[in-house]
Amino acid sequence: MTRRRIMPALAGAALLALGAGAAWAQDSSEPPLPKMEWSFNGPFGTFDRAALQRGFQVYNEVCSACHSMNLLSYRDLEGPSALGYSADEVAAIAATKQVTDGPNDQGAMFQRGGRPADHFVAPFANAEAARAANGGALPPDLSVIIKARAGGADYVHAILTGFRDPPQDMKMAAGMNYNMYFPGHQIAMPPPLTDNRVTFADGTPATIDQEARDVATFLAWASEPTMEERKRTGAKVMIFLLVMTGVLYGAKRRVWSSLHDKDEKDS
Amino acid sequence: MAESAQSQTGDAHAEGGTRRDFLVIAANALMGVGAACAAWPLIKSMNPARDVLAAGAPVDIDISSLQPGQQILVLWRSRPVFIVNRNPDELAKLQTSQDTSLLRDPNSDEMQQPPYAKNWHRSLKPEFLVLVGICTHLGCIPEFTPQPGGGLGANWPGGYFCPCHGSRYDLSGRVFSGVPAPYNLPVPPHRFVNDTTIRIGENPPDSAWDFGSIVQI
Amino acid sequence: MALPQNKIVRWIDHRLPVFTFLDHELYQYPTPKNLNYWWNFGSLAGIVLVIMIVTGIFLAMQYTPHVDYAFASVERIMRDVNYGWLMRYIHMNGASFFFILVYIHIFRGLYYGSYKAPRELLWMLGIVILLLMMATAFMGYVLPWGQMSFWGATVITNLFSAFPGVGNDIVTWLWGGFAVSNPTLNRFFSLHYLLPFLLVGVVGLHLVALHQHGSNNPLGIDRKGPQDSIPFHPYYTIKDMFGLGVFLIVFALFVFYWPNLLADPANYIPANPLQTPPEIVPEWYFLPFYAILRSIPNKLFGVCAMFGSLLVLFVVPWLDTSKVRSAYFRPVFKWVFWLLVIDCFALGWVGAHRPEGWFVIIGRIATFYYYLHFLVLLPVIGWFEQPLPLPPSISSPVLKRGGRRLALARHKP
Repeated sequence: MTRRRIMPALAGAALLALGAGAAWAQDSSEPPLPKMEWSFNGPFGTFDRAALQRGFQVYNEVCSACHSMNLLSYRDLEGPSALGYSADEVAAIAATKQVTDGPNDQGAMFQRGGRPADHFVAPFANAEAARAANGGALPPDLSVIIKARAGGADYVHAILTGFRDPPQDMKMAAGMNYNMYFPGHQIAMPPPLTDNRVTFADGTPATIDQEARDVATFLAWASEPTMEERKRTGAKVMIFLLVMTGVLYGAKRRVWSSLHDKDEKDS
Repeated sequence: MAESAQSQTGDAHAEGGTRRDFLVIAANALMGVGAACAAWPLIKSMNPARDVLAAGAPVDIDISSLQPGQQILVLWRSRPVFIVNRNPDELAKLQTSQDTSLLRDPNSDEMQQPPYAKNWHRSLKPEFLVLVGICTHLGCIPEFTPQPGGGLGANWPGGYFCPCHGSRYDLSGRVFSGVPAPYNLPVPPHRFVNDTTIRIGENPPDSAWDFGSIVQI
Repeated sequence: MALPQNKIVRWIDHRLPVFTFLDHELYQYPTPKNLNYWWNFGSLAGIVLVIMIVTGIFLAMQYTPHVDYAFASVERIMRDVNYGWLMRYIHMNGASFFFILVYIHIFRGLYYGSYKAPRELLWMLGIVILLLMMATAFMGYVLPWGQMSFWGATVITNLFSAFPGVGNDIVTWLWGGFAVSNPTLNRFFSLHYLLPFLLVGVVGLHLVALHQHGSNNPLGIDRKGPQDSIPFHPYYTIKDMFGLGVFLIVFALFVFYWPNLLADPANYIPANPLQTPPEIVPEWYFLPFYAILRSIPNKLFGVCAMFGSLLVLFVVPWLDTSKVRSAYFRPVFKWVFWLLVIDCFALGWVGAHRPEGWFVIIGRIATFYYYLHFLVLLPVIGWFEQPLPLPPSISSPVLKRGGRRLALARHKP
């Protein structure tokens, strides 16, 4: 009986590995990503609100010069289940941006101060303008970047902290920068972070590593703002299902007990 | 064929009876609860999403160029909103009893407006009227016909005429008797941010009135 | 369970006998009493089909099938729609679990000879269900309009150009344009909504065919009389519900804690027709077929080999020459069956990688073995194998040889 059970169990395990392997197939010449401890990892993980706000500040002051986040709106930042900003703080953040609106009654587009309902203002009007300003390379939109890269937040943190001088024997293409973890090692983005590139309001020292961690945390939130709700709901669902399945097992044994009693009498 | 199986279960039923029943009842109950909990998010998903609710946020309208006797039409929560600048003649006529006797609800007793608009001019400032331009009969947009008389008869004091089924309202949006529409035109929450800007969708600071409490949109 | 005395029930039943029908086909329905848990997977698959249709309908209320809005509309569902993230993750992982359940269900049929007379049509209807599932899943994956959506659609629709002469016309007709583009997305949405309802119809036929002769059982021998059967209700209704509970626990683990484990990160990049991703990989449940396709260096024959691997399943009832149904009593076939399982996993593993080096060789061996199993081993083993002696009936006393195994097979707890 055990032999019959082992094969399917192995099959199931292989299935999982297969799925994971297919998704995470990576070129083997890059070093493995350093494994980071994120507060949002694990079944009970949550976002560190202070880190989220610092990370948003890094995005706002550094990354948004080249990278859009078109799927987010300023109102998304509000509330304790988001970044913890109040409605007024969010309105103030939005108001610092210039948004194109219109057409007005004369048929012309015009600029106005941002409102919470507006999407994050993009640095470039379109992909072509972005390429023209960045030597032909398109800085990717960061709205779901954590889900769009194998390795997720580990990968983004590694890239941001992985800039080095190229090795002696490496021929760099024009305008490219050497990065330890980027596939192929040549990335068009110049190192965006330096120590004290931003000044954190809560006084946290703004080392490159800290800035990278915080912006990766913010981007992880941005990629999936409902993650905490998902895990919370999951805990309730799992407990309910375990109880329900336990009761169903008991009921099943009860219903079948008469049959098993009869079979024992027969044999 | 089925009978022998049934009689077996019948015997067992009598034996292990209450315990099996309890487990089965508990199992059924839990499955029912589970199914209801599973259906609930699906039903909730049809409610307005967060971006739709955000798009329903208050809008600021510039009325600096709105002349007396004029009306503009703006959108708030996907609905047409009239903003009218009433001239002194129109305001005077609204106060006379001759006008109010023909109305179904002259004192705005039905909750179709916030408490600060329960007056003869149905607004904060008498000159400026803000109405949701949806006929309370079946939802058409009434036409702005401020001129007295004309095609609507010599007794027409000026107001709104709905072309779909002939409902009429006065220049405060109050419905006339004897027309299909049952209620006055709704007044949305609004306030003056300053003398030239009306914010639609937000009450003045001393009021907390919910637009959802009106009788009929 | 007799028909309820309730007057309303009788009134309806006299005019439209739904209650009598349910009583006969669901409650009283005689089922072998020795079914094991491998028999749970059919009803599980049916329940998952219902889950997919229900979540799909609610998702379709919020999705926009236009190339400029599709990706953003899915993200809107994830962020702004109440419980949108839940519906999306259930639907996305439900597809994977639907295939897991159906693959296990199919392998159960292969092991226990459930495809043998008189259940050949039941089996063939099942393969039709599999084909409809694959078409539905393929089109559904295109809808989020990510990089894999677009490029997977491009590669698979381009397959049809392999047909001599009319190939290119077929592909243009499928696309509705010069490449995978907005007309393609729109029609895939329409068909993705339609096919599941066709599927429900074929599942109905599948159940009618099943009820004609009743379920097979682990011993593979026919029921001889009432002593071999028990009514479906309450025995198998409660057992199916318990199995559903176990399934939901596993399913919930994925939906709530590993929702993207089976997904490809590249599909979170919006589709870019001007940039092919470094690896174009279909969803895991298509990997074995993808491997077979790529194992033949000729375009047309690769396509034929891939479709052939599904078509060969239709004729399994005639390829297998054994008079004995269940692998319990087929010592040689039993091991060959597990070799097939390993072969399918090997094909899947090959399909996940670039066609280079060892993967090519293993892929070709595994493809060859797949066809060898069905076209050669099944008939030959049937002819030459010495099966173990079959017990006289499901309820008969335990035989000396293989006694404990039989005793367990007679009534699984």
